[in-house]
Amino acid sequence: MNQINRREFLKLSLTTGSLFVLGTPQGMVKRVFGKTETNKKIIILGFDGIDPHLLNVWMEQDKLPAFKQLRNQGGFLPLRTSIPPQSPVAWSNFISGMDPGGHAIFDFIHRDPQNYMALFSASATEEAKKTLSIGNLVLPLSGGKVRNLRKGKAFWQILEEYDIPATVFKIPSNYPPSPTKQRTISGMGTPDILGTYGIFNYYTTETGEINEDIGGGRIHEVYVIGDRVEAKLPGPVNSFNKDRPESSIDLKVYIDQINPVAKIVIQDNEFILNEGEWSDWKRVHFNMIPTQSASGICMFYLKQVRPEFKLYVTPINIDPGNAALPISTPKSYSKELEKKFGPFYTQGLPADTSALDNSVLDDGEFLYQDDLVLKERLEMFDYELSRFDSGLLFYYLSSTDQRQHMFWRLIDREHPSYDPKLAAKYGNTIENIYKVADNILDKAMKKADKDTIIMVMSDHGFTPFRYSFNLNTWLKENGYLSLINEWRQGEEILFMNTDWSKTKAYALGLNGLYINQKSRESEGIVSPGSEKENLVYEIAHKLENFKDPKTGENPLIKAFVAKDVYRGAHVDEAPDIIMGFNKGYRISWGSPLGRIPKKIIEDNTEKWSGDHCMAPGIIPGILLLNRKIKAKSPALYDLTSTILKIFNIKQPKEMIGRSIL
Amino acid sequence: MGKAKIKLDKDLINKVNKYAKLSGYSSTEEFITHCLEKEISELESEDSEEEIKKKLKGLGYIS
Repeated sequence: MNQINRREFLKLSLTTGSLFVLGTPQGMVKRVFGKTETNKKIIILGFDGIDPHLLNVWMEQDKLPAFKQLRNQGGFLPLRTSIPPQSPVAWSNFISGMDPGGHAIFDFIHRDPQNYMALFSASATEEAKKTLSIGNLVLPLSGGKVRNLRKGKAFWQILEEYDIPATVFKIPSNYPPSPTKQRTISGMGTPDILGTYGIFNYYTTETGEINEDIGGGRIHEVYVIGDRVEAKLPGPVNSFNKDRPESSIDLKVYIDQINPVAKIVIQDNEFILNEGEWSDWKRVHFNMIPTQSASGICMFYLKQVRPEFKLYVTPINIDPGNAALPISTPKSYSKELEKKFGPFYTQGLPADTSALDNSVLDDGEFLYQDDLVLKERLEMFDYELSRFDSGLLFYYLSSTDQRQHMFWRLIDREHPSYDPKLAAKYGNTIENIYKVADNILDKAMKKADKDTIIMVMSDHGFTPFRYSFNLNTWLKENGYLSLINEWRQGEEILFMNTDWSKTKAYALGLNGLYINQKSRESEGIVSPGSEKENLVYEIAHKLENFKDPKTGENPLIKAFVAKDVYRGAHVDEAPDIIMGFNKGYRISWGSPLGRIPKKIIEDNTEKWSGDHCMAPGIIPGILLLNRKIKAKSPALYDLTSTILKIFNIKQPKEMIGRSIL
Repeated sequence: MGKAKIKLDKDLINKVNKYAKLSGYSSTEEFITHCLEKEISELESEDSEEEIKKKLKGLGYIS
C-alpha cells in the first residue's frame, strides 16, 4: 500500500471507528495507529542558523511576537549543537539521534585516504557496473545509483514502523531521501543536474568580468553581433559517450535596437524579458542518445542590455515534475507539489550566494532571487500545514542561514567588509528574515490545538567571520606538513605540492585535521598507537595555544580529539582532530581543499561574512517549545528522543539522547 | 609494446640524451617514457581535481 493510500486508509478507519464511539465529542477520539496509541501531534519548525542571542534581543524589542508568545507558553533555551557545528552534521544528529561517531557525517567534505582526494560527505554516486560499448557509445546495462551516506535510522522511519504519519519538508542531510513511505522531499545536499552544489551561468560582453575560475558559477564571454547573442547553456556530462563530453544546448538572444528588452530563445522556449526582469521557470532538455535525455529547469535574469550585455541563468535544477534523480518519497510527492505549485527550486541550497560573492548579482538582486525561493517554500508550508491532521510535520527554512552568511558584514562594524552605505540600505536583512520565521511560527500556532506540540529549533547559531585561518599553512610552519617545491607554495589545490613522505598531518574539510597514518593513508608515515596518539595531543595542544599576532587572540578555543568526543560504530572514520574556532575566526577559503597559502591568518574580505563552523559552545542553536522543557542543557540528539517519547515509542539503543520533557 | 616514431628538435634530443645518462636511466627511451608518464599522470590528476573543485564550489563555504 503506498503512502497516500495508507493515509486515506487511516483516515477512513478513524472515521469508521468514531461511528462506534457514541457521545464522544469530535476531536476527543484517541487515534490508534497500529502499535501505538496517542492523540498527540507535533509540528517542528527547523529554522537553519537562527541564533539565540539575536532572537532574544528582537523578542525583547517586541519584534518577534510569535516567538515571544511561544517562549512564554513553554520555554526557550539555547540548543547544544554538533561537533563541528556544520549543517549536515548537526541535522544528522537530529535525524538519527546520534553524534557523528554514529551517523558518520563529520563535515561537508570528507577525504579518501587512498589518494587524499576530497569527497562529498553526504552522498555517493555509483556508476552502472555493467555497460555495453558500441563504437563511441557506452550503454549502461545495470542502473547506477545514488547513496545517502548517513548511517542509522531517520526518526520518521521509526515513526513509520509504528504507523505514525510524517511529512518531512526539505530537511538537510537527506539526499537521496531515506527509503520510506512517509512524505519527504530532500533539501540541503540535493545537487543540480550537473551533480554539483549549484553552478550558475553568466553571459556577458564585459571582458573585465571574465574570470572563469569563480566558485559556483561559469562566466561566458559573448559578443553582440548585429542585435544577436549566440551562446551555449552547458549541461551534464554525457556518460553514454566514451569521451564523456559535456552536453549543451543553443541559447540565442535577440536584443531590441531601441528599448532595453531582449527575446530569449532556448529549445522550444521563446520569451521576452525587460532589463532587470526575471523569467519564470523554463524547462530544458539535454539529449544524450536518441532514447535518453536529461531534463532540468532554470530561470533567466536579464541584468543589463546596454552598454554591456549581461544575462544570468540559475543553476539547472532537477525538474520536480520529472525528476532525473531521487528527490522525494514517495517518488510521486515532488510531482504532486509540482502539479499544485508549478516548477520549484529543488537544489539543496538555492540562494545563489556564489553569484553575490562574485558580484554577478548585487545585494538587491540576490535578495530578489532568494525571495523567489522563499515564496515557493512559504506556499508549500501553507499547503502542508492546511492538510496536517495527525502525526508529525517538519518544515525547514534555509533563507535564515543563507542571509546571515551574506549580510553579517552589514551588522558588524568591525568586519573587514563592513560598508556604512550598504548597511543603511540592507542592514536590516537579517532582522527581516527572523520576522519571516516569526510569521511562519504564528501560522503554526494558530493551527495548533491543545494536543499539538510545537517545537522550534535551529541547528546552530551565528557569529562573525572576520579572519580566515590557513590550517595547512599552520601545519607547515610547525613542521607537520612538507612541500615538494617551496617556491610553488600557494598555487596548489588538493595537496598537489605536498611531500607525503615527510608529512605527519594535513587538514581537509571545514573543521577536520587528519594524521597521515600508516596503513590508513596510502602514503602514511605515522604509526597507529602511541606515536599517533602523542602526535594528536601535541598538535591539539599547540593549536589551542597559538595566538593571532595581529589581535593577540587565540583563533582556536578547542581542538577536539575525535575519539574523546564521539560515540558509535564509525568513530574510526572521523578526522583525528576537529577544530573549534574562536568567535571571528574560521577555516580559510582554500584550506578545506588542501591549499597552503603563505600566511597563516588573513582578513576575510568576502561578502560571506557570518559563519558557524566554529567551536560549538559559542554558537548554540535555539529550542522553543509550547510545553515546559525539563532538560537544563538540551542537545540536538535529545530532540529525536523527545519525538519518540511523545509518540510512546521506545528509543533504539544506538540513540544517545534523552527526552527533554 | 606499440612503437611510434616522433620527431624532436636536434638540440632537445641532445639534451634528452645527456640528462638521461646523467640521471642514471638505462636508456633514452626509458627517460622519455618516465617524463611522459609523469606529465600525463599530473594532467589526469588535475582533471579530476578540477572536477571535484567544480562540484564542491557551489557550496559557498570554499573558493
